[in-house]
Amino acid sequence: MQVLRYCFEEATASFWRGRRSGAMSVMTSAAAIFVLGALLMLTENLERVIGGWESAAELVVYVSDEATGDERAAIERRISASAVARSHTLVSKSDALRRFRADFAELASVIDELDSNPLPASYEVRLQSDPGLGSAVDDFADTLRGAAGVADVRYDREWIARISMGVTALRALGALVVFALVVAAALTVANVVRLAGHTRRGELEIMRLVGAPLAYVRGPFVVEGMLQGGVGAAVALGMLWGAFALGEFYYGSMIATLLSATPATFLPVELYAILLAGGLAVGSVGGMVGARRTARAERTV
Amino acid sequence: MIEAHHLSKVYDRGLYALRDLSLTVEHGEFVFLTGPSGAGKSTLLRLLLRQELASEGELVVDGEHLSDLTASQVQAYRRSIGFIFQDFKLIPRKTVLENVAFVPRVLSASATQQRRKTFQVLKWVGLQHRMNAYPVELSGGEQQRVAIARALVNDPMLVLADEPTGNLDPDLSLEIMNLLREINARGTTVLVATHDRELIRRVGRRAITLDHGQIVEVMDGDRGDGVVVRPVTAV
Repeated sequence: MQVLRYCFEEATASFWRGRRSGAMSVMTSAAAIFVLGALLMLTENLERVIGGWESAAELVVYVSDEATGDERAAIERRISASAVARSHTLVSKSDALRRFRADFAELASVIDELDSNPLPASYEVRLQSDPGLGSAVDDFADTLRGAAGVADVRYDREWIARISMGVTALRALGALVVFALVVAAALTVANVVRLAGHTRRGELEIMRLVGAPLAYVRGPFVVEGMLQGGVGAAVALGMLWGAFALGEFYYGSMIATLLSATPATFLPVELYAILLAGGLAVGSVGGMVGARRTARAERTV
Repeated sequence: MIEAHHLSKVYDRGLYALRDLSLTVEHGEFVFLTGPSGAGKSTLLRLLLRQELASEGELVVDGEHLSDLTASQVQAYRRSIGFIFQDFKLIPRKTVLENVAFVPRVLSASATQQRRKTFQVLKWVGLQHRMNAYPVELSGGEQQRVAIARALVNDPMLVLADEPTGNLDPDLSLEIMNLLREINARGTTVLVATHDRELIRRVGRRAITLDHGQIVEVMDGDRGDGVVVRPVTAV
């Protein structure tokens, strides 16, 4: 307890003394955490929307006008027996026409001029939301395409999968950028801490000569790094929240439209805590590196 | 307390700071190391503080072979030694009290022990009224007294002083020496490196003269003020 108190007191005093150089490491830590937080917020929202699309994804089986009653019954049995289908609805030719008139009122007159209803009957199949069923759904769609009485099969998941892949790629690219920023932040903290160590070299020499335990010698460096990283993370989270609030205020409705009518959400509390812990961890690592470098340079720690 | 056997310290390009030096300092003894600049006084103190290792020979302090100590044993060993330097080595941003209390604090003493010991030694060196002053506000003699208080606060078995009066006038020098004699009178072994032969004469203790890293003279002093120091030949 005493060593912790000592390390904290020395670290805060040193942080305050070197506040100008400390501000630099706080800002680099803040930049790394801000980018990481923004990336997490973006991918979280995109995944939520994609999840919604996936749960609403449908497979539509268009039935040929020439299909016999037996063929229709066989199609329906095959859908009911499938493990990937959650439920299904039959949309008759007249239902399809009614929907068309409702959705495209200005084109209704064109349909009326035709002798017969050109729209096919269909089965709308709602799929299970388990993402692991991807290939099973593909197989199911292929089987239906080859079944007698089926004119066509339309399957939403193909383009959803492509968007998901895009999000994964974005996340990987973001991870690389964040990694580079985190390394830069840790090195900046290490150098700032080392600079602080240089100004405390007289004190460190005395500590070495009186045989002070390592925890007392290196501890303040680690805590100082941790403070820099922690303050950086807090600044980043504040900036993220500010940016989110501004975005909501000015572009809220546009974002909601883009996100399928669901409002964008800020980071969940767990991620908030993880980002803060990440800032502290990056700072601690920087502090440790700084202490080791000081040891090498001053031969005291 | 201190035994040096055929001790040598060689730096780059074969420069000998100490050459085949052997000496013994008994428990509770007060010994001066003297000689011109570059004689090897400070090198011997650095070896005794285990800041450096001897190139050859053996150095034993209170039964500990210094060359065999591990890093953690070096820390423990240093906790049993007090050191005083010519330039005081005080921390400018800390008060007198903080400079002295710093040692028990980093050695994990309880807060009560820290306060009690610090106040005791500051009172002993006559600086209890300047506890809240910063080093820059003190005279050279006062700063050295703070350094002495810091060296004593941990009850060391051995006090090493490297030119402790080098920056002080003769009166203040004698005052500091009197403090060191009082420390010695309490049973602590004291080893003082100085080139001030007049001071050695006035204090009157055994003095070992080094030159070019070797002992060239050993003088046995009486234990009173103003005694004549007589040369001897054996260590």
